[in-house]
Amino acid sequence: MVRFHEHIISDLMEDPSGGLVVLSAGLGLPKLISSLLTLHDPSQGSVLILNASSSQKNSIDINSHFSSITSDLPAHHRLSLYTSGGIFFITARILIVDLLTQRLPTTSVAGIILLNAHSISDTSTEAFIVRILRSSNRSLYVRAFSDRPHAMVSGFAKAERTLKCLFLRKLHLWPRFQVYVSQDLEKDPPEVIDIRVPMSPHMIGIQKAVIEVMDACLKEMRKTNKVDVEDLTVENGLFKSFDEIVRRQLDPIWHTLGKRTKQLVSDLKTLRKLLDYLSRYDAVTYLKYLDSLRASESFRSVWIFAESSYKIFEYAKKRVYHFGRSDSGKSIGMSTATSARKRKLEERKNGDDSSASANSVVVLQEILEEPPKWKVLRDILVEIQEERQKQAVSGEELIAGCDEDLNGIILVACKDERSCMQLQDCITKGHHKVMHEEWEKYLLSKVELQALPKSSKKKPKAPKGFGILDGVIPSVSGQKAEVSSISKQENDALLAAAYEISKQANKDTGVEHSGASEEHGKGRKNRRKKKKPIIGKTDQESETSVQSKTSPSKHKDKVNEHLSISGNVHGNSTESEYLDRVVLRKHNQEPENTSQLPSVHFHALESEQNILDVLQPSVIIVYHPDMAFVREIEIYKSENPSKRLKVYFLFYEDSTEIRKFEASVRRENGAFESLIRQKSLMMIPVSQDEQLLSIGSSVEPQSVTAQNLITRKAGGKKEAEKEMQIIVDMREFMSSLPNVLHQKGMHIIPVTLEVGDYILSPLICVERKSIQDLFGSFSSGRLYHQVEMMSRYYRIPVLLIEFSQDKSFSFQSASEIGDDVTPNSIISKLSLLVLHFPRLRIVWSRSLHATAEIFTMLKANQDEPDEAKAIRVGVPSEDGIIENDVRAENFNTSAVEFLRRLPGVTDSNYRSIMDGCKSLAELALLPIEKLADLMGGQKAAKTLRDFLDAKYPTLL
Amino acid sequence: SASSAGGSRNSILVSHRQKGNPLLKHIRNVRWAFADVVCDYLLGQNACALYLSLRYHLLHPDYLYFRIRELQKNFKLRVVLCHVDVEDVVKPLLEITKTALLHDCTLLCAWSLEECGRYLETIKVYENKPADLIQGQMDMDYLSRLNHALTAVRHVNKTDVVTLGSTFGSLSNIMDASMEDLARCPGIGERKVKRLYDTFHEPFKRAV
Repeated sequence: MVRFHEHIISDLMEDPSGGLVVLSAGLGLPKLISSLLTLHDPSQGSVLILNASSSQKNSIDINSHFSSITSDLPAHHRLSLYTSGGIFFITARILIVDLLTQRLPTTSVAGIILLNAHSISDTSTEAFIVRILRSSNRSLYVRAFSDRPHAMVSGFAKAERTLKCLFLRKLHLWPRFQVYVSQDLEKDPPEVIDIRVPMSPHMIGIQKAVIEVMDACLKEMRKTNKVDVEDLTVENGLFKSFDEIVRRQLDPIWHTLGKRTKQLVSDLKTLRKLLDYLSRYDAVTYLKYLDSLRASESFRSVWIFAESSYKIFEYAKKRVYHFGRSDSGKSIGMSTATSARKRKLEERKNGDDSSASANSVVVLQEILEEPPKWKVLRDILVEIQEERQKQAVSGEELIAGCDEDLNGIILVACKDERSCMQLQDCITKGHHKVMHEEWEKYLLSKVELQALPKSSKKKPKAPKGFGILDGVIPSVSGQKAEVSSISKQENDALLAAAYEISKQANKDTGVEHSGASEEHGKGRKNRRKKKKPIIGKTDQESETSVQSKTSPSKHKDKVNEHLSISGNVHGNSTESEYLDRVVLRKHNQEPENTSQLPSVHFHALESEQNILDVLQPSVIIVYHPDMAFVREIEIYKSENPSKRLKVYFLFYEDSTEIRKFEASVRRENGAFESLIRQKSLMMIPVSQDEQLLSIGSSVEPQSVTAQNLITRKAGGKKEAEKEMQIIVDMREFMSSLPNVLHQKGMHIIPVTLEVGDYILSPLICVERKSIQDLFGSFSSGRLYHQVEMMSRYYRIPVLLIEFSQDKSFSFQSASEIGDDVTPNSIISKLSLLVLHFPRLRIVWSRSLHATAEIFTMLKANQDEPDEAKAIRVGVPSEDGIIENDVRAENFNTSAVEFLRRLPGVTDSNYRSIMDGCKSLAELALLPIEKLADLMGGQKAAKTLRDFLDAKYPTLL
Repeated sequence: SASSAGGSRNSILVSHRQKGNPLLKHIRNVRWAFADVVCDYLLGQNACALYLSLRYHLLHPDYLYFRIRELQKNFKLRVVLCHVDVEDVVKPLLEITKTALLHDCTLLCAWSLEECGRYLETIKVYENKPADLIQGQMDMDYLSRLNHALTAVRHVNKTDVVTLGSTFGSLSNIMDASMEDLARCPGIGERKVKRLYDTFHEPFKRAV
């Protein structure tokens, strides 16, 4: 634990009711919380940890001491856990249900630790939980945390509102620039080497072009006057949160926007990705991405037709290959790229001579510019190795662990798994090979994309005896050459090259199979495969994603498994296997000694695992700079002041990568400054408990506990007007509506309902659908079934269509309606629904709060619902008759249902079938003539008869 | 109203009250004609619609109630087609919801005249359409249909359908099977046997 963590904890403990802590990203929030939890004393009661993501769970609870309370646990088991005084992770949904059903004695809870506090609003279930707990347990503490300060400033006075809904008074701000924090972290900083890698000219060109297009799109956006102009900067556009900014402003009016504006929003997203990938992907992969982008967006996009966009594609292509046209004999020689590999020019000329009919030749020349960072990374590794060798006594074998600093772990941190694997390949196989493999993959995918016959047509024409990649296509047919554009020829050339590769690949595999020299390698590969499952298992347990590069065997099977060689991570159960593996590794290492590079671990930042404490690296190469990770390094260093730590940062010079990094620091600082300002102006009542009480007493006749002591009947009789009850299906606690209803003073009874989501009265049953749900459940047929069930058991079945407050209140804009009645339109589906269920009442609600109002209104003159009855509805009793079913007394319902599902039986003829024959068994024996009489047609009768008599297909 | 509907069965009959409503321009996929009908739009033998714009409702809050009362109980489906043409919808929509719900009307909201028109057209066009469009995509092959039919019996699952099918060979044999034969099928317990047998052999209509 770092010193400032102690400060945070002691500050937080000052107020017995808790507080909200906002700290900078990467400042070790999980560590802070786990040390806070060590102070917990079981005699005070249980601690419940809410809202933790699974990666947070793992890093808070390193030793897996705490258990999770989920709905899988039976109720009595949960109760014994609640009262045990332990520490538990719990989901909000199960906690709120247990609170409402009195299964959780509120006094047994000492406090709540709430993570990701930035996601809380006054309608969220977490706020609901705190409100209920607080109202009956005044000594409870709530300690809320967030390490995303910029999310705490989105929207109006968000911090203040968060504090209020959690009944907290204290806001603790711990930015990176806070005195204690910076003192601690800067006392003994790691040795940092900042390397600015210049981008290649083409990369600069692409970046410039993308930014130009982005700027143009932003200008267009400004013209629409729909979004706050201040937010529309390229700098903002670099962040994912830009989409949120724009969407938040546009969502309420989304349906009124023209197609063009909507397209601009999505274009900006695409452009941001293009910038991001420019520094992350190699040239070939980037081109591939662009290709698929062009294929998928071609028509609607605004940006793709912009002047600068052309440059993006051009430069991207130039990084990969050069395509030129040359008259026979003339050398191309126009490629300027330094890394261009002009292969076998001589041979090409010979080829030209031999193909006499060709008068014009197109030449595809591979350039395959590699990312500049690759070379730098390699150089760094070589440098490290040389340094180490200098320090090491010559001749002495380096045994792991004998000199920690000398032989310490080198960690390379990349953004994603993909980069990790690629860099690893780069080091093991060499960068040329990697680029070539990408290039081959690219060409082969081209073949797959294009119609395959095309390439087979080229077969006889493809010149033989050329280099693998120097696909040269003499355009034989003059007519064709006239018609085809350059890009057509270019495409053909690519295809031909691809064809060559696939041919070569086939040959290669043939060689490999027969060649005796490969036998050794193959054997090794098999051995690796045998080992795989074990390795995979240990990895899963230790949850590390570390890759070793030392093993010389080919990574043909580069699945997600990563070799972990650190050794200090593994669970004891797998120790023997681990030892086994070390032996294997050493064995493999011996021939490796010739290699100049030290062993390297790779870490993908996206995996969000706390790798530093586990691996204890002595050199960290930050391949993709990330603010949070930089802080993690700082914390790691200040926790291990004695350790020598060298950190390399690899930035592309003058790139958006570096701009984004700097902007993220600025943005966080800005967020904190705004929070500090907000904190000074905050209006938090001195005692919110009063306020809490007043909420409780003004709306509800008694406090929650007292209220729940009254039996339903007594309450219903005495205070039917005041105390409204709503029965709510358990599954609905995912949404915020129960919370809002409770705020309105309704008594919520959570139960598992077979039919409906909300029971308002003995007559009214409500199925609630958000817009997304509505579309989904129409197409799955679920809604039809649900409405059918509701209509069967309740006099007033209600479909509630609930829009969300911050989104537009409509299905579609007028322009999207189209000219014809089409079966897929939501209008058609709703119309069909009301035609088939004329008794169904549809309620359209603008928002959660509007829904609560509507519910109050609907309940106004109704009796209270009966919990016991509601639970039984739709659940069949032992003898198969479903209770309350109005038809059950008169009809054999399952037989009727069965009948109606048979082919040929329709809404219009099933009644006459039931009149004409007694039972299904009888129907099964009716001859076709009789059926035709009953069903009103030969065709329907034949359909049914055929179906009944069809031979069931035997299974093999 | 039934008598006036007789002449033009395939068209929407529009009340003279609706004369001048720009909505009429957007009824294009179905023929319509003015007629003396008590509702605003007569969409079929059993279906009718009243048109109401929120803006009008704000001026005449009682209008809807009186119009609904006029309808009496002549229609199975009574639609209140609400044109949402104001910004602040919560309060007026609450009132309309209440009135519609208390007086057995189905409320449909539309945000443009095009959408209003499309609802009227669709309800007319789909007047006699079966509901399979919203019953989920059901595959039309034999096994799916057999599954669909047999799983109408509660607790019968897909495995049971396979068992039944391969044991009895055809659906008619399954429907005619005796209790003993059903009980001999693996995985089909006492309760399922009874449920299946009752479904097939109990009469559709119980003797009251």
